[in-house]
Amino acid sequence: MSKDGLIKTGITGLDDILLGGIPRTNVVLLQGVTGSGKTLMGLEVIYHGIVQYNEPGIIVVFETNPNKLVRDAAAFGWNLEELQEQKKLQIVFTTPQVFRHELRSTDSLLLETANEIGAQRIFVDGIGLLNRDLGGNAPERAGFREMLQQLFESLDRENLTAIMSLEVGSAPNSMATVEMTDFLADTVIQLGRDRKGRRIQRSLEVLKSRGQDYETGEHTMHITEGQGVQIFRRVQAPSRAGSKQPTSSTMRSVIGVDAVDTLIGGGIFDGSTTMVVGISGVGKTVLGTQILREGVLKQKTKGLLVSLDEHPAQIIRNAQTLGLNLEEQVADGTIQILFESPQELDVDAHYARIIKLIEEHDIKRMVIDGMTSYSTAIGELAVYRDFVHAIVAYSKQRLMTSFFNYENPEFLGVSSYMPDFPLSSIVDNLILMSLVEINNSLHRCISVVKSRGSKHSFDTREFVIGQGGISLVPLERNLLPPVPLQAYSSLLSRAPTRFSGSKRKNGAAAVQDKE
Amino acid sequence: MGRGKPLESTVQSCLDGMGISLLSEWDVLAFVYRHGASLASSDQIAHLIGYESTVVKAALDRLESEKLIERSRPSEEVRFYRIFASSDAGRQRRLQQIVSLAETRVGRLLLAKRLKPDGSNRDEKNNRIN
Repeated sequence: MSKDGLIKTGITGLDDILLGGIPRTNVVLLQGVTGSGKTLMGLEVIYHGIVQYNEPGIIVVFETNPNKLVRDAAAFGWNLEELQEQKKLQIVFTTPQVFRHELRSTDSLLLETANEIGAQRIFVDGIGLLNRDLGGNAPERAGFREMLQQLFESLDRENLTAIMSLEVGSAPNSMATVEMTDFLADTVIQLGRDRKGRRIQRSLEVLKSRGQDYETGEHTMHITEGQGVQIFRRVQAPSRAGSKQPTSSTMRSVIGVDAVDTLIGGGIFDGSTTMVVGISGVGKTVLGTQILREGVLKQKTKGLLVSLDEHPAQIIRNAQTLGLNLEEQVADGTIQILFESPQELDVDAHYARIIKLIEEHDIKRMVIDGMTSYSTAIGELAVYRDFVHAIVAYSKQRLMTSFFNYENPEFLGVSSYMPDFPLSSIVDNLILMSLVEINNSLHRCISVVKSRGSKHSFDTREFVIGQGGISLVPLERNLLPPVPLQAYSSLLSRAPTRFSGSKRKNGAAAVQDKE
Repeated sequence: MGRGKPLESTVQSCLDGMGISLLSEWDVLAFVYRHGASLASSDQIAHLIGYESTVVKAALDRLESEKLIERSRPSEEVRFYRIFASSDAGRQRRLQQIVSLAETRVGRLLLAKRLKPDGSNRDEKNNRIN
């Protein structure tokens, strides 16, 4: 369908879900339980229609005080009184009986009013009230169905795009109403209000929409004070945005962190994804900070740090102690920091915020610190998996170089890269940051265990964190321990063992071969 | 308490200025005011505010003749009822004043005291206004 045949709802995110809007003159049913946001959404479609698209509208309410509607709209900054004075909006209070009569009447006052103000949209709040008298018997149901058909017919005749709200209850009558109305309506949008743990989560799903394609599945809905309804596309929905961007590149860029560039063969492919796995405190965040900063300073690429663990002020302070001045880059916008509390994290909305930042600031390098917090915040493994796949796919599509920090729970040694959700196969590079215990002290070491398309080193190298961030301990100047790490075997298997004389020779030869 | 007398005289002067003398007229006016553009029959308004149809019909006639409300042509029994958009600033001010007053319990009691009951559903009506 051409874009001209669609009317825009003006609701943030909803027109994207509907791939542009609602086919003109469709009858749209907003159905949901009490408190799911049906009235607000209907009201907002009318309001935006008038204010943004110059399409006057009518709101019909049954036996509820229209003043409350005006008051509630004012809380979102929508002045309905003014629109009524301008004759762009008419709020009509009536009863279901009158409404039924009006639809059958050839000289309907309601439709006359719609015509007078040039209305193109109408919102009827509480269509279920028209079926108040529906009993269990077939003739009454048939009567309701006939009445709905008349209603939809008369709205179509007047070229009105109609939005109807329908409360879904558990009573048999309610279910019958829903079934019948769903069948007759052109577009059915289900609004959900579900308990997740101890919180309430709102959702939106387009169940059907005649004459158009749309994004299927359950999307997240927010009601934001002073703003209205916002819809966040479910993260796992594959992107429909046509992109001619290649999803792989032959361009290789240095990371800018010598410690990693040395091991990884001089740099990584642009647009590649890297998982950095390690125990808490090993230096993943420092590495992430360094990667972003070096990206700005050496590659002139803008960066984004996403954290669920640390507030931006804390990240900046901690970096400052290592001589990594992030404040300047954050101030001039070359590095963005997105912090969201893992408490009640709404993954669809969070994902949308990440995408918005990337696109607004043309981010080329992203660090997500860290994935484990998502795992605990999201709770559901399937949703977590969808989020990771979506962010990796998006990152690759944009040729954005991304790093994901993953906190491995194993203190010494690593028996599994990512025990709760093995996704090492979907990333291009895998860097392991470990602690090894030699004699009575812990040493930090780093290994590149995977780097697609690169001739990387398999050496495990000791590194230190100091001024300037992470740096490798030079092999020839390795003072502590008295012998370098290369003098040990089984560093990553919890039991570092020093080579005997003959073995050491062999080990040294092996290292030399690789280099 | 000292405000009692001036308030009463203000209310009376507003009611006189608008030509309202019956409680039923005030209740119908308040209904139309609160509901904006009401698409209904007089019977349904009567049902919604708890009066007999004849009383509401009489009140609607009176309010229209006083140019307090306006109503559209009938479509069978149904009409649009709206507050009359008067250019008389004094009249508009009086209406606003009395509507504001009716939002308080004191104001509602005062109105019930100053306005004449019309004889129908009096007890029920007084209970409601209180």
